[in-house]
Amino acid sequence: MGRLFLFYRLMLRPLLQEPVRAMLTVLAVTLGVAVVLAIDLAGAAATGSFHASMETLGGDNDLEVVASGGVPETVVGTIATLPYSIRLSARIEDAAVIRDTKQTVPLIGLDLVAEASSDRSGVILGSSSSETLSPSQDAMQHLQNADSVWVGASLGRKPGDTVSLLINDQVREFTVRGVYPDSNGRECAIVMDLATAQRALNRFGRVDRILLKTPEVPGLEQWQQRVRAALPAGVEVRLQGTGTNENRRMLAAFRWNLRLLSYIALIVGAFLIYNTISVSVVRRRPETGIVRALGASRRAVLVAFLGEAAFFGLAGAALGLPVGRAMASGAVKLMAATVESLYVSSRPGAIELSAWSVLLAFVIGFGVAIVSALSPAREASLVSPVEAMARGRREYTARVHKSRDLWLALILGILAVAATRLPAVEGKPVFGYLAAVLLVVASALAIPAFTDAFISLFSRWLGRTLGVEALLAAQSLSASLRRTSVLVGALSTAIAMMTSVGIMVGSFRETVLLWMNDRLPADLYLRPAGEPAPDRHPTVSLELADRISELPGIAGVDRLRAYEISYDGMPATLASVDLSALRSDHQSNFFSGRPSEQVLSQIRNADAVVVSEPFTYKHHVRAGDSLTLALGAARPSFRIVDVYYDYGSERGSILMDRQTMLRYLPDPAPSNLAIYVAPHASAETVREEITEASAGYRVLLFSNRDLRTEAIRIFDRTFAITYALEAVAVIVAVMGIAGALLALVIDRRREIGLLRFLGAATGQVRKQILVEAGLLGLLANFAGLALGFALSLILIYVINKQSFGWTIRFHWPVAVLLFAIGMVYVATVLAGLYPAQVAVRLDPIEAVREE
Amino acid sequence: MAIVALQNVSKDYLSDGQSVHALDDVSLEVNRGEFVALVGRSGCGKSTLLNLAGAMDFPTSGRVLLDGVDTSTLKDASLTLLRREKVGFIFQSFQLLHTLTVFENVELPLLLAGKPHARAAASEKLHWVELDGLGNRYPHQLSGGQMQRVGIARALVQSPVILLADEPTGNLDTVTGNVILELLKRLTRELNTATVTATHSAEAAALADAIVRLRDGNVEEITRR
Repeated sequence: MGRLFLFYRLMLRPLLQEPVRAMLTVLAVTLGVAVVLAIDLAGAAATGSFHASMETLGGDNDLEVVASGGVPETVVGTIATLPYSIRLSARIEDAAVIRDTKQTVPLIGLDLVAEASSDRSGVILGSSSSETLSPSQDAMQHLQNADSVWVGASLGRKPGDTVSLLINDQVREFTVRGVYPDSNGRECAIVMDLATAQRALNRFGRVDRILLKTPEVPGLEQWQQRVRAALPAGVEVRLQGTGTNENRRMLAAFRWNLRLLSYIALIVGAFLIYNTISVSVVRRRPETGIVRALGASRRAVLVAFLGEAAFFGLAGAALGLPVGRAMASGAVKLMAATVESLYVSSRPGAIELSAWSVLLAFVIGFGVAIVSALSPAREASLVSPVEAMARGRREYTARVHKSRDLWLALILGILAVAATRLPAVEGKPVFGYLAAVLLVVASALAIPAFTDAFISLFSRWLGRTLGVEALLAAQSLSASLRRTSVLVGALSTAIAMMTSVGIMVGSFRETVLLWMNDRLPADLYLRPAGEPAPDRHPTVSLELADRISELPGIAGVDRLRAYEISYDGMPATLASVDLSALRSDHQSNFFSGRPSEQVLSQIRNADAVVVSEPFTYKHHVRAGDSLTLALGAARPSFRIVDVYYDYGSERGSILMDRQTMLRYLPDPAPSNLAIYVAPHASAETVREEITEASAGYRVLLFSNRDLRTEAIRIFDRTFAITYALEAVAVIVAVMGIAGALLALVIDRRREIGLLRFLGAATGQVRKQILVEAGLLGLLANFAGLALGFALSLILIYVINKQSFGWTIRFHWPVAVLLFAIGMVYVATVLAGLYPAQVAVRLDPIEAVREE
Repeated sequence: MAIVALQNVSKDYLSDGQSVHALDDVSLEVNRGEFVALVGRSGCGKSTLLNLAGAMDFPTSGRVLLDGVDTSTLKDASLTLLRREKVGFIFQSFQLLHTLTVFENVELPLLLAGKPHARAAASEKLHWVELDGLGNRYPHQLSGGQMQRVGIARALVQSPVILLADEPTGNLDTVTGNVILELLKRLTRELNTATVTATHSAEAAALADAIVRLRDGNVEEITRR
């Protein structure tokens, strides 16, 4: 208890004398912790709910039977007639858009007769809110009606209501026969009988999954083998929920990268804690000497300063919890939009602040604080009492080993380059991140030499150009080289992250723009209405496609068909294009550099495919390799002819000729149409004709330009969260500058007071502090730009490549960078305003007399 | 006309909520060429008187005329200008900026005032205090006496009408202190300026043209020679 009192008196109470500075340090930790927590919570919510309704409504099953393009319905009979007591549930799974609310919800078709008769329909029919019939009787009666649906409670419908659903390109009316409680209050779906779903989706003779409940013995693996033996070649049996797990695995890299990005603010915060504790150590040198002389051990001193850091860490974590929870609400929307655009249809789940989240916040807050404070605390513990008391309260001139640190920086830089050459570990660019961290540390070590050289070279020039205040400012920063270096390190790290991510995103954007020139050659594009998603492929009616193909003024229509498949334990997209209708294209979108026309001619009506770049990275394949795909009831092999650049989705795609696909998956309905207008025809007239021909179909028609604009809008939305994370890191750094300048003003009050005695006007004192802030900003911008450029190379050529497999062409987004850096610079100078005001208000007589 | 005139000056401070009477109805005139010593116990009001005379502070009542200008009538900017042109301060602990060279320390007031030829003026003042050749050194490379000479050169660089010195020999040994006092006395005479020094030193008092003895904020006695 006594020690706690001492800790309070000697360590915490002095903090209260500088509440603004203490508060800024706590806030830095708060923001760092909050961002990490927000990304963690939002990541779990945004990526955790795909197909959750499908799985929840799947009930308690063990295995699932699936096939690319759907399981032939005959397989249901095959399994049902096996001499085992296996319970089975065939399902159609797709999506529908509720017309009035535009909400996209899972659409599930169940064999309700079988479900009701086996008394396993409790989750749907047993919870029906009809009061007149028992659940089963109720269900049986309505099954005879082809318009019956059962809906989740959160949709807010009641039995008897009519609901209009957009399914593929058709709107149909259904009647709500019952309402079942949502699994967690959010995961609603539309349930209908299997036959009704097949009719609505025009998917006859196939189901999407058959769920199996097997007896306990002889074990799941054996049951899997027994069922597999009875299945046709292209049909697969796997553990239920494998698809969900595959999605989770696919999203792991996305979450991992975002989580690491969220640590930037924390790293910047660590610099600031280091600075705060360093200042404390120097200011309390005399006190440290006295308590050491009075019997305190080195360890006690070390613990005291670590305790101060722990106070900042724990206070920051405590505040970071509610702030992080609030930030998560904003982050989840951005993350869910990205998941929906690039990976899989998903509706964000609830944000849950679990005990684990609370623990995480405190562990990172405490951990970062302790680690950051270790070096200055150790320095304090090593000071001899005599030396500390003799020197008294001195300026912050802790030793800086510039040359040694520069050599260390060089070694770390070389190690960083070496780390970039190493491959990914289980799909994670571990060494890429290690290289980035090594570079950040190398930069921090090189900054004292850089700062010293910069000030030595330019301080006199600054004095001549901006006046004596600038000279004093430069000298002041140089005199506190260690403190200056830490501040420049913190801000430059934030700027470097901002610059590197800015360059990466700018390069990616430019690459995508160039890619779209090649990939979107048609004049018009048509797809079913409703929000698009990489794993949803609603179809356009074949009659409509035929009708459009026959319109005058149309030179050709490409029919693209896509399926969601599972390949090698990961979700992928299987697509086909109508090569007979493809325009001549001499440009290349392929790794080989050959003209597209030449490459695509090799897959025409052949068991050959081209695959997307992300696919090759996910599955470690390349041109010349073979792929075996489970298609319908067959398992054909396809030769990979070439690899194409693809920035449309991160899932990985396989592209084949439409004729080849129809051989295995005979559903001719296209997922979308690429329409070429004849040279002599007016695009506007053709558009009007298509709109007229599409009357009665719910489709969306885009011009080439619309589609590009939409793609870039989605792109920008996808990366909005990275900008938000960088902004927080910069805010933390700027707050650190404000806090540190405040400390600098307080530590230099004698000098400031003296200047007033020597004739300095208040404006000159203010100018000096603002020039100091400006110089810090300038130094940090130089160092940050250099480091940011190096980090952007790692991001583009190592981390992105190993995480997502995209080839990005380097591009300087000059305008964006100039704007961002300009804003940071202005913010840094503004951060000097309050410390400058404090300096101006100092009583010079008091300040000089103190010493 | 007196360079500095304090007319019925009182100065009260608030310290921890208590009113402290630092000076009470003090009147004093200092003329050109005069070397004045303020003596008295610690806390008797010597430093307060110097701060008022140097326009660093305002009296609670009474008037301070610095070269004929009533300091109470000026705003901060005008007060700064007045101080720049008329007053040179010398401190007990020298108050040199350790990051600046001797030259830079001396020319600092001129640079703050935006005046040209600062280096030449600094060089001249260093010659006056017999520190030729040490202009490029840093303060930590000097002895205590040399540092105080730099302090004096800095105080002189604006050619002030009055030098205000607060215990200028307090951090020096007796021999060095005496040398500094002789230097101050000589410069006062040669430059026809005025010097007011707060001191505990009997040697300083012995050199002074006038000794002002303060006690509890009151002028107890003024002895002129």
